[in-house]
Amino acid sequence: MNGWTVTATVALAGGGAAAVWGVATGPLRRRVVAQNLSTTLACPALLLLAQGYRRPSYVDVALVLALLGPIGTLVFARLLAEDLHEDPPIGLTLTWVAVAFSAAVVAAVCAATGPGRAMVKLLVTGALMISGSLVASRALARGMPKGGDRHE
Amino acid sequence: MNDMLIAVTLLLVAATATAAVAARDPVRQALVLAVLGVALALLFTVLQAPDVALSQLAVGSALTPLLLLLSVRKVRRRGRRKGRTE
Repeated sequence: MNGWTVTATVALAGGGAAAVWGVATGPLRRRVVAQNLSTTLACPALLLLAQGYRRPSYVDVALVLALLGPIGTLVFARLLAEDLHEDPPIGLTLTWVAVAFSAAVVAAVCAATGPGRAMVKLLVTGALMISGSLVASRALARGMPKGGDRHE
Repeated sequence: MNDMLIAVTLLLVAATATAAVAARDPVRQALVLAVLGVALALLFTVLQAPDVALSQLAVGSALTPLLLLLSVRKVRRRGRRKGRTE
């Protein structure tokens, strides 16, 4: 067990507990934010695990999650647009904290990897992860364009 | 040495699965199921099975919620239409 896996354990214990609590209780507007938080947090945790186990191929899992996580949140934002329009989501602060955490993790893992193809892959994963999370939380906060009322 | 990490992810999976069973509304259950998919993918990665984690991510985080929400939407709309004709 090294520093990378210890950090991943702490992040998963703290953020994972917050995400599970948020998604299991409370109003719908907080649950979608907690679901977005879970994917935003799992991505840097996977990067930390890949570095901790010294297996660069594990970065693939983080890459796939960085692609699919925001898609899942956008599915919710699109199909729950009517419910979310009445009371817009709250509590996006934790998501910003998770985004800052993932930026720090990407920087640290890049510094540990050194220049090369692996670093480019890490940077692509980090860019996808952060931009996807920003797009998803923006869609949650402001609503999807023309969501929900097209089929009425 | 990684017992702590495995314990944390196992606890996460157990808590999320319990919450998924306890949720009554299908929409909220879809949200919990999405989180459960991510937690299971983390557990598989911790147990050194990243290929299983990849397929679990594809199915759990996007496809299952999409199917559930589309079915809920269709059932609701059919109920609304039936209420209008009666």
